Amino acid sequence: MKLVKLNKKLLSAAGLLAVLITFNSCNEFLDRPPLSQVGPGVFLNSEADLASYPLSYYGSVFPSHGGWGVGIGNNDNGTDNQATANPNLNLYTKGTWLVPNDGDLGFGTIRGCNYFLEQVLPKWKDGKISGNSQNINHYVGEIYMIRAMAYFEKLKTYGDFPIVKTTLPDQGDVLIAAAKRAPRNLVARQILSDLDSAILLLSSSSFNKVRITKEAALIAKSRVALYEGSFLNYHKGTPRVPGGPGWPGASMEYNKYFKIEIDTEINFFLDQAMAAAKEVADKTALTANSGVTNPPARDKFSGWNQYFEMFGSKDLSKFAEVAMWRQYNLGLSVTHGVTIYVERGGNTGYTKSLVDSYLMKNGLPWYAAGSGYQGDVKIMDVKKDRDLRLQLFLAGEEDVRTVKKDADLFGRPSIINIPETRDVTGYRSRKYLNYDPTEAPGSDLTCVSGSIVFRASEAYLNYIEACYIRKKSIDGDADKYWKALRTRAGVDTDYTKTIAATDMDKEKSDWGAYSAGNMVDATLYNIRRERRNELASEGFRFNDVVRWRAMDQVSNYIVEGFNLWDEAYNDKVYTDPKPGEVTSTGLIADGSSKANVSNKSLSKYLRPYQIVNLSTNLVFNGYNWSKANYLSPMPYRQMQLASPTGDAATSNLYQNPYWPSEPNAAAIE
Amino acid sequence: MSMNKQKILIHWRSILTILMCAITLSGYAQTKTVTGTVVDKQNEPLIGVTVKVQGTTNGTVSNFNGVYTLNNVPQNANLELSYVGMKTQTINVSGQSVVNVTMDEDTEMLEEVVVVGYGTQKKVNVTGAVSTVSSKELESRPVQNVSQALQGIVPGLNLSQTNSGGALNSSMSVNIRGTGSIGDGSAASPLILIDGVEGNMNALNPNDIESISVLKDAASSSIYGARASFGVILITTKSGKTGKTRVSYGGNLRYSNAVQIPEMLDSYRFAQYFNQAAINDGQGAVFSDKALQNILDYQAYQNGTYTGTLTDENRNQIMYGTTADSNNRWLMYGGANASTNWFKEMYSDWAPAQEHNVNVSGGTDKVTFLVSGNLLDQKGLIRHGEDKFNRYSLNGKMSIKMAPWATLDYNNRWIRETYSRPAYMTGLFFHNIARRWPTNPVYDPNGHYMEGNEILQMEGGGLDKNEKDYLNQQLKLSLEPLSDWFVRLEGSYNTTINFNHWDKLPIYGYDAKNQPFAAPWEGGDAGQSAVGESTYKYNFWSVNLYTDYSKSINDHNFKVLAGTNIELMKTRTLGGSKKDLITPLIPTINTATNSTPSLSGGYDQWSTVGFFGRLNYNYKEKYLLEANLRHDGSSRFINDKMWGTFPSFSAGWNIANEDFFKNLNTPISTLKLRASWGQLGNMNTTQWHPWFLSMPISTGSGTWLVGNVKPNTSSAPGIVSSLMTWETIQSSNIGLDWNALNGRFTGSFELFNRRTLNMIGQAIELSSILGTSVPKLNNADMESKGWELELNWRDRISDLSYGVKFVLSDDRQQILRFPNPTKALSNWYEGQVVGEIWGYTTAGIAKSNEEMINHLATNKPSWGSNWAAGDVMYKDLNDDQKVNSGKSTLDDHGDLSVIGNSNPRFKYGFTLDVAYKGFDFRAFLQGVAKRDYMLGGPYFWGASGGMWQSAAFTQHWDFFRPEGDPLGANLDAYYPRPQFSQSSKNQQTQTRYLQNAAYMRLKNIQLGYTLPASIVKYAAMQSARIYVSADNLLTVSQITGIFDPELLGGDWGQGKLYPLSRTVSFGVNLNF
Repeated sequence: MKLVKLNKKLLSAAGLLAVLITFNSCNEFLDRPPLSQVGPGVFLNSEADLASYPLSYYGSVFPSHGGWGVGIGNNDNGTDNQATANPNLNLYTKGTWLVPNDGDLGFGTIRGCNYFLEQVLPKWKDGKISGNSQNINHYVGEIYMIRAMAYFEKLKTYGDFPIVKTTLPDQGDVLIAAAKRAPRNLVARQILSDLDSAILLLSSSSFNKVRITKEAALIAKSRVALYEGSFLNYHKGTPRVPGGPGWPGASMEYNKYFKIEIDTEINFFLDQAMAAAKEVADKTALTANSGVTNPPARDKFSGWNQYFEMFGSKDLSKFAEVAMWRQYNLGLSVTHGVTIYVERGGNTGYTKSLVDSYLMKNGLPWYAAGSGYQGDVKIMDVKKDRDLRLQLFLAGEEDVRTVKKDADLFGRPSIINIPETRDVTGYRSRKYLNYDPTEAPGSDLTCVSGSIVFRASEAYLNYIEACYIRKKSIDGDADKYWKALRTRAGVDTDYTKTIAATDMDKEKSDWGAYSAGNMVDATLYNIRRERRNELASEGFRFNDVVRWRAMDQVSNYIVEGFNLWDEAYNDKVYTDPKPGEVTSTGLIADGSSKANVSNKSLSKYLRPYQIVNLSTNLVFNGYNWSKANYLSPMPYRQMQLASPTGDAATSNLYQNPYWPSEPNAAAIE
Repeated sequence: MSMNKQKILIHWRSILTILMCAITLSGYAQTKTVTGTVVDKQNEPLIGVTVKVQGTTNGTVSNFNGVYTLNNVPQNANLELSYVGMKTQTINVSGQSVVNVTMDEDTEMLEEVVVVGYGTQKKVNVTGAVSTVSSKELESRPVQNVSQALQGIVPGLNLSQTNSGGALNSSMSVNIRGTGSIGDGSAASPLILIDGVEGNMNALNPNDIESISVLKDAASSSIYGARASFGVILITTKSGKTGKTRVSYGGNLRYSNAVQIPEMLDSYRFAQYFNQAAINDGQGAVFSDKALQNILDYQAYQNGTYTGTLTDENRNQIMYGTTADSNNRWLMYGGANASTNWFKEMYSDWAPAQEHNVNVSGGTDKVTFLVSGNLLDQKGLIRHGEDKFNRYSLNGKMSIKMAPWATLDYNNRWIRETYSRPAYMTGLFFHNIARRWPTNPVYDPNGHYMEGNEILQMEGGGLDKNEKDYLNQQLKLSLEPLSDWFVRLEGSYNTTINFNHWDKLPIYGYDAKNQPFAAPWEGGDAGQSAVGESTYKYNFWSVNLYTDYSKSINDHNFKVLAGTNIELMKTRTLGGSKKDLITPLIPTINTATNSTPSLSGGYDQWSTVGFFGRLNYNYKEKYLLEANLRHDGSSRFINDKMWGTFPSFSAGWNIANEDFFKNLNTPISTLKLRASWGQLGNMNTTQWHPWFLSMPISTGSGTWLVGNVKPNTSSAPGIVSSLMTWETIQSSNIGLDWNALNGRFTGSFELFNRRTLNMIGQAIELSSILGTSVPKLNNADMESKGWELELNWRDRISDLSYGVKFVLSDDRQQILRFPNPTKALSNWYEGQVVGEIWGYTTAGIAKSNEEMINHLATNKPSWGSNWAAGDVMYKDLNDDQKVNSGKSTLDDHGDLSVIGNSNPRFKYGFTLDVAYKGFDFRAFLQGVAKRDYMLGGPYFWGASGGMWQSAAFTQHWDFFRPEGDPLGANLDAYYPRPQFSQSSKNQQTQTRYLQNAAYMRLKNIQLGYTLPASIVKYAAMQSARIYVSADNLLTVSQITGIFDPELLGGDWGQGKLYPLSRTVSFGVNLNF
């Protein structure tokens, strides 16, 4: 009897529990949001929130030092300025570069900026973002700058490109509609408009200039405007320019109402470039060059030449010319390997063409009568009485390699090392070298010298070039800027003397001597020469020769380096290598598979791509350029996905000139 | 409540009193004392047999020698003898005072009851697809965890190695009946329940397991609902049993070495191979003639055949294989000339391990208990540094019969796993082994380890130590208010606490002047030290409340069950790291001095609620029916997607119970045909909150320094979909079970079809103009089809008893629906068979330039250049004279075709056990009968992806060399001519290099001997067995000798992972 009673009670208790669980609290019990993540609603409301956001995107738009190698010093490889052990086969051998089957168009950064602007602008306008308003404005300005730089990358890569200023929904039809390629001049105008917003909002030199500055945005503006203005100018009449003959955009329904007055457009961009450049150049003096070309003593590793040190110091904020830079810190493991690779050779090297382009201090080209050129038997010879930039940044036999040990000079270049530490051409660049003995205490990746992102010299150069294209003459400002650059380079400021002494036939190895396959006039050439010499090894060269259309003539172009076969070859370093050193075989120049230098019979100058004379060496006969290569091919799959019919042939994202609309196919021309 | 308690207590007392009376009081009828010996068929005495007078509580238990003595036995009483695993016998005393008994094994009973969802069921009445494993099959295996022991034993239960390979903390991946998901946003892993609560099977001591049931179809697993959609593994641990207290000990010593590691080329051939690869790329040779000579000199010196002189200049080179450079550093790579096989250097030959198990159990009618403990102490295969795993476990189980109608069970399990490895031993380490050239010496001429070969990091570069505690508390209350009506309330609280310590200590190399210098640890961090501590805690709370009632009316048998299941998981994490230790001897956060530590910590949670019901019906155990319904809610989904309802049905027909069949007089006692159909929801989305749009925010870790500190960074969130919901798993199963020849021949066959409907597929492919990834949706269907066969034969030929078990299973998956309208081959597409390999067809390797030119004329690949002798000739299949992938779609795939399938097919296991007069022998083979695999990367190809990423093993020496090659022509080579940077040209997926990854492995072989009882009794033991057991002794496979057929992956590329172990173990099992 008791038993039954008990059971009833138990049962009703259990039943009650079940009922409670069932009807009262189930959905509440299942309401389990994440506990340590924040949703969009609570973010981007304060100055600190805004500060964090742009930094995620810096790396994707601003090149800087990193990893093994000479950092941004590598960015001129594969041009007539610089060479690395492995040639760029895609660019310089025909039929190698293929239309990719798929690939990302790279809208991540653009979407990131659009998201920020969508979220922040309404709150910002309503004054709902807490914090210092100047800083808040600055961060909004940074986003405009980042979006501009992201679009500039796309402009350089593809030309015409879809302009997207909102975050798009994940709906196919919307995306297809959004994938309409805007003509490139409109893309460039959009970039300038973003940069104008940025310039308006950014402050000048807060944050030690490691964040974007107003000056950086101005320099960027002059860069983009010059890029587009000169591109339209030199590529005019090709399918690469909107409205030009064969321009693929012409057949697009969505371009029905597109009109362009090409010369007006060119002038617009050049005017913009000049104005922005002038604003920076007028208020920014160039870093002084003391003329001293080596640290005078072991303990005087710094302070001997501000101009040299501007490229390798740990703190670049002290240089007025530097408008933006990146800082490194060993303790935080944010480091690179540049100093070490400059010290020992970093799989790159200046070409003879670049070295030859530097003037004598007296303003004459090396070949001009009375130039005082000393020949190039030794690297020290070739530097003698030259433009100080050559003297500073080309490592000669007797230049100081490091002050960590006494009498540690560069000596002969490491031309037969393994590629990683090889002086590919024999001409080593010492731009970015930092003589501070505390730099790189470990080996490899312990370097912390700062990395320049923008510097004011570019504005000087942008102005001069834009001015000459626009006005066909050197105006007062351009004259002032040019002379300032030449003064700092220790070169006679009378550029007319140089122009008069320039023999274009002697400058044929310089791609900048050409546009559209024809030689340019000597004045323009010398403007380009100035730019080449000042900005060597800073990643400008490829973009310059593209916008100048300076590779039409590149056919069987042979890259040459230093003078090996007059004297250097006989040096002990090559004939009697230290035991056990890598490929310590001495020089082999027989063209066989074991060869490590080019044969004397080809040239007394080292030809890094003519070492092995086998059919497997695709560039033995030199670089060959294809017209299509001025723009990159659109990935095939992306064309399909952006097509209303699914067919690449009818895609909104049409293919670039001279590229076929099929995957894995080579350029047509 | 206190009233109830009191009543229970009162009840307790009365029961105790009755019991005492029964035991102590003697009867006063005509009684006598009966004695006797109980033995089994082998005439071995049986210890602990319960002997009682039928219908009374007068009983006893047989002693060590199987002898029992029972007082007060009435003259004509029936004695009832019962013993686990034996048929209960009743014997009439008939006035005798000595009654000896031989007991028969009850094979039927052993196998008859199967653990199923929320209960047990007679095996003959099971209508779903359920396989079982007994503890016997797991015994004496020198394995580290349960999954290793389970591999190949259960048909349809697939266990495969992961990218962690044989690392001591690695566990296998498990699926039932093949993959159930493309793994893109959801997981399809089985639910693993230990005594009814989700747990980690690999943390469990295999010796604590009593039985394992694998529920394979929806009908049998659906009762578990949302997380059981891809099957359930039910593990029941051992419990105490009424009777004398039993103590057992099992221990073994093991030695392991690597089953399979590649063999590097000696440095002379290595150098020539690398030279060839560089030359074929149009570069200069890597090793000069002089460097080659140095290598030969070193090798000659090592062999004692060096005839040159030793000078100060060349001594180091010839004796030690290196020389100093101008900075007084010892040279490596091209500057060195030793001959080191780095794999041999990094792995040790015989890594020791030991395991001990103690188990104490026993009990009375009222209380049974079991306490078991386990210690496993295992060293890893890594030679340098501490690579070590320990497991300690302590397990207590108690069952208290509070009243005839109330039982309380309390289980407590504690497991601690400690694992330590060199902090450097990550994927990078395995990546680097083959990148160290054999020319690098191990030691410098002064006897120090050379810097730059990982040994310094492994030996002294710090440790990664992990300590994980599992604490499981379980309380079960079972009530039987009326006969056959049970109410059960089960509550469990599991906590997992993990502490990780990681330190990076400075390492020092020595220069040529024998001076130490700080060496980089992973590049750019020479001399640095750091320490990291992190912890996580999982709290898992689960409640089951259910009730069942059985009723038989005439021959109609019913059973109903209804209940609810509630689970809540809460996790938290905390971690921090700091740089710059005061001393490497004390690596703690307190003793690190850097002012900017890195910190992290967070919380997360999920929960689920389910209601379930089951109805079983059978008529005379002939016609069987079962129906299940489960209604589940999950915190992973929101709004109307939160709840789902999933039904299942199964039916069986035991033909052997039909009169007509019985009249046939066949030797078949069970012949059951069954079928099932059911649906289940899967809530195992990869993300716990797939609907939540989270801001990507990272604190203090930006690498664009601002103010010389790492800034906070944030970025745009992606896109999420609130539409994500349950995947529906719909499975049907047809099975046949039989038992013939008095249990000698048993087996079953299953045929299944499982569809994963509304699978979380990839997002639809959209233009990348979107700028972020497209959110995933339930938009795909997949099907898994297959069958399973299990055959058992068990018999005895006089003293020799033996058994054979063979299991075989197969499954294939196909994509039925997928958002890929163009059917691009780069993605899943409708109709695709999972695992299919698209590749080119190889015509061969061109033996001459002419042959290549002729071939190219009509078979020109769209990639590559400089085709020459020694390159692969690809075949044009679509007669357009070109070789390409067309549009890389199913409709236009150019010259690609399906050349194989990487899914393992026809997985089998074969077990033979033999026992003869105390000796026992067991052999277990496991394998996969069909599998294709395309290997890639430097391990397979040798030269691949540049000089610093390439490798050179003995197999790679078989590369193409033309007529007249100084290394000797090799026109019929397996590999094409090597190239560093243009290597991908010849390394396309293609028929020639497709590997046959089928294998058969002798997973275990063991030989044991049980000492005669007559001997062991002197040591106060009831039984003693000694054995030797070996795992992974033998492998048969056609795959390239570089790879283990079970280890085809690797985090840093194929083959770059911890090898599996071959283990030999010596052990004893003692029972006291």
